[in-house]
Order: sequence, then C-alpha cells, then structure tokens
Amino acid sequence: MVHVSRKTRAARDVRVVAPGLSWALIILVALYIAVPMLCAFAFSIYVPTAGFTFEPYLESVRDPGFPGALSLTLLITVLTVVGLLALMVPTMVYLHLRAPRWRPIIEIVCTIPLVVPSIALAAGLVTVLRSMAGFGRGSLPAQVSQLLQNPDLPVVLVGSYIVLTLPFVFRSLDAGLRTIDLRTLVESAHSLGASGATVLRRVILPNIKGPVIFSAFFCIALCLGEFTVAVTLGYRTLPVWLTQIAGSNFRASISMSLLINALTWALLIAMTVLAGRAAPARARALKGHES
Amino acid sequence: MTPTVATRNAPSAPGAIERAICRIDSLRARAERRTGASFWGLIPFLIFIVLFLGIPVCGIVLSAFRVADVNEPGSYVPSLVNFAASFRGASWDAMRNSLQISVIAALVGGVIGLALAQAILTTRSRKLTAVVTVLTSVLANSGGVPLAFSFIAAVGNAGIITGLLSLTDLGFTLYSSGGLILMYQYFLIPTMVMVVLPTLAGLRVEWKEAAASVGATSWQFWKKIGLPIATPAILSGFVLLFGASFATHASAAALIGGGGVPLISLRIDSGLAGGNLAGQENVAMALGVNMIVVALIVLLIYMPLQKRSLKWFT
Repeated sequence: MVHVSRKTRAARDVRVVAPGLSWALIILVALYIAVPMLCAFAFSIYVPTAGFTFEPYLESVRDPGFPGALSLTLLITVLTVVGLLALMVPTMVYLHLRAPRWRPIIEIVCTIPLVVPSIALAAGLVTVLRSMAGFGRGSLPAQVSQLLQNPDLPVVLVGSYIVLTLPFVFRSLDAGLRTIDLRTLVESAHSLGASGATVLRRVILPNIKGPVIFSAFFCIALCLGEFTVAVTLGYRTLPVWLTQIAGSNFRASISMSLLINALTWALLIAMTVLAGRAAPARARALKGHES
Repeated sequence: MTPTVATRNAPSAPGAIERAICRIDSLRARAERRTGASFWGLIPFLIFIVLFLGIPVCGIVLSAFRVADVNEPGSYVPSLVNFAASFRGASWDAMRNSLQISVIAALVGGVIGLALAQAILTTRSRKLTAVVTVLTSVLANSGGVPLAFSFIAAVGNAGIITGLLSLTDLGFTLYSSGGLILMYQYFLIPTMVMVVLPTLAGLRVEWKEAAASVGATSWQFWKKIGLPIATPAILSGFVLLFGASFATHASAAALIGGGGVPLISLRIDSGLAGGNLAGQENVAMALGVNMIVVALIVLLIYMPLQKRSLKWFT
C-alpha cells in the first residue's frame, strides 16, 4: 500500500502544473497570438458599408505609390541577398581554410550589429552622409554621398541590410562549415585539377546548402519588413509606404501588410524547419524588433 | 648481450619515426603560421565592415561628443553637452520611459513565457512542442509595421475587440505605455519560451524521479534542483527581453508615430528629422550612443548567463 502511494505521488510530482491549467494558459496565449491577426484579416475583407469584399486589397495595389515601393523593395532584396552571399560565403570559406586565427576577431566583428540598434545605425548613417554632403556641391565626399543614396539604387540601404544580417549569417555559415571536412574536400578537388571557383561552386556550396538557404531566407525576410533604416534615410520601401497610406486608407494598408507578413512568416517557417533548430533566431531578439 | 643490443637498437627506430613526426608537425605548424598570417582574403569583408558599420558607428560617436562652435559657425568643438542634454528634459523623459516600459514588458513576458514553456512541457505532447519550437522562432522575429497594424485592427480606437468589449469605457487605450507593453508581448513571450524551453525540457525526468524517491515534494524539487539549474536561462531570458523591448523602434513608430508616448528610439527620430534647433541632431546622436551602451551591457550580461545555462546539458 505504502509502496503504491509513493509511486503515484512520484508520478504526480513530476508535473508542476495541473494539465487543465496548462491547457488553459496555452489556449490563452494562442488566442493572444491569433486574435490580432484575425482582426486584421477581418478588417481587410469586411467593410461595414459594403460587406465582404476584396476591395481593400485591390485599392492597395491601385495606389499610385505601390509600384514604386514594390519595385524598390524587390530590387533592394535581390541586391542584398546576392551581395550578402557573394561577400560572406567566400569570406567564411577563406576564414576556415586559410585564416583560422582570425575567426574570433571576425566573430566579434559580426556580433557588433547586435549591440547597435537599427535606429542608432540609421542615425550614424544619416550623420555621416550629411557631413559628407556638407563638403559642398561637386566635392568628392558629396559625390560619394550622392552615389550611396541614389534614389533608384540605394547602395547605403543594401549595405546596412547586409550588416543587420551578419550576426545570424556568420553563425549559420560558421556552424555549417564546421560540420564538413573542408580541408580534405578542397585538397581532393584541387588534386583532381579543379580551380578555386569550381571548388567553391561545385564542392563547397553543395555541402553548405542548408546554411546558405537559411541565410538567404533570413535576409529576404529582413529586407521585406525592414522599416527603421529605410524611413530614417527617407526611402519609400513597402513598409514605409504602408505607414504613409495608413492615415488615408487603413484597410488598404492593412491588407498589404497582411500579405507581406504572410510571406515573411512563410520564409521564416521554411528557414526554421530547414535549419532544424531555432538557435540563430534567438540572438535576433537581442537586436530588438526593428524589422 | 644480444638483448642489450636489441634494446639499444629498438628505441632508435621509433626515435627516428618520432623525429620525423616532429619534423612534419613543425613544418605543418610553420605552414599554418604562414597561411594564418595571410589575411588578404579577408580584405573585402573588412573594407565592407569599415564602410557600413565602422564609419556609421564612429560617426554617431563623434557627433555625440561635439557641439557647434558658437564663435565659428560651421565648425565644431568637442563637448559633453549632448550627453548632459540627453539626461535632461524631454530626452531624459523618453529614456526613462523606455527603460520603464522595457523592465515591465520583460517581467510580464518573462513570467508568462516561463509559465507557458512549463505548461507546454506538462502536456507532454511532442507534436505541440515541435509546433511551438517553429512558431516561437517565427514570432520572436516578427514585429514591425504589420504587428502594429494588426494591433490597431484588434484593440486600436476603432478595433474589433475594442468595440466588442467596449475597452474604451474601461479606460484602455493602445496608444500608451500600457498598449506598447501589450503589443511587445507578441514577440517577447515567444522569445522567452525559446530561451527557457530547452532548459526546462532538459531537467531530466530521472532527476525528478530520484528526488521523489527520496521523498522530496514537488516544491522541494523545484527549490533545490529545478530552479538552481534553470536560473541562468531564466535570467538570460529576462535580460534578452529587456534588450529587445528597449531597442524596438519600427512597431512603436508605426503605432505611436511622433507624439503620445515618449520613447528613446522615437526621440532619436524626431531629433534627426527636426532640424528645428541646431544641436538637436547631436543630442539624438548622444541618445543613440546611450542605446548602444545599454545594448552592450545587455549582451555582456546575457552571454555568460547563456553559456552557464548550457553547462548542465553538454
């Protein structure tokens, strides 16, 4: 008898909270997560004067500012992803292969963006670009400042978005490269007569496909949603345009914001499932939620 | 005699091998030293970092530490005036309010997140845990304009829930410090779950059984074993949530805009855009440096705690 009762107590003691209470809490938080999105969805498809309609979605697409904002955002996204991978994949491979001593330093450098909030980075960019422009029309710094801020091709935005992704991309690529025997792979490929570019493209890349896709998806999600740097530097990307039309047509802006949000979440879900773990995302929270 | 010869000869062969290995090792070390010193391949990366991270950060620090020279228009003198101004008046209000909101938001999110993580484990559903793992990493990364908009649709002035529960009559408004704290939970709770779930899941059932078998109550188990092991993870979660709230700009800007609730990130905005008074921009830079310092402190507290929290599980 005593034995049995002790056993049931042991089994009970493993649980701290009663299952009923646990489910209640889970359902409450699930509601908190779901309700705002459902309300936004309801806002976008139901207009009190017109009933159920897709009009808000159509209105957002018809807005004169939409094509410009969309094309600017897409251009920045493509350039950022390409720039990021072109910069970081060779750098990380080189780091592991030829300059392992520099790894701690590069790691620290790649962590710095975590302690520079986006608004502070944007403020720094603004002050530098303004003081460069202050050298006077036609001077070299003013020209560089203009070139970086070219409204059709904002290099400064591409550069700062790459910086914002560095902490996560470094970790992801670093972990990926650590799991493969890079030196042996490269030496065997070289001994078979492959050139450096071929090795990178046909031997290394396929072996770090996971981290590369992770980095690319993370970067796309960031570019689609980033608001702080874009608005501070005066660019009309999709999120900035959304806040500008919200005052006059909230339903249209919320429709488009839902679409963008759905796309971002899909990318993040795919990324997390592909990565198989959520570790790099953890560090993202440090950064705040500027994007 | 033969054995002595044998013993005399025997070491010589391995000795040669050892010497050879030593030689190879030293050659390899030398080769590695050579390649290690050649950092030329890192130059493109370093140039990029200097351009897009080094220069802006130096820019903000330099601007923060200087003011326009009254005697010579257009030139600057080094000064601490901007920092003094950042701890006074409207700037200090914004910083204090940001700190206050971040502390409360982190406590609320931390407690709910911790309870939720334990609740999820209590259900013992593998499916739920898998879904939660993916969802938390997505939600922890969500935010910005869409977050603010969906909260406006739900509990804004004309929000659906506001109407259903007549929240306005209860004195609730989304466009307040309380509203911001409510909205921040959307990414704070998932972040907390993400940080503490692995640790709580790692508290082995055997430990609980062992504690129970020597007669420990559930309360005693948590007091003596569970909490001490989980404390570093829980603390690192709180610190992380604080840092995340403090640095938040986009969703707050989309919700509050220019006026209403004073926040340090919004204050930097208005200081940059203002141009109303010369010198406001430099105070904004000082506020930016303050933000960087706070984020640095957060990271310096977070990292050792995070490392410690992994101690039991590796």
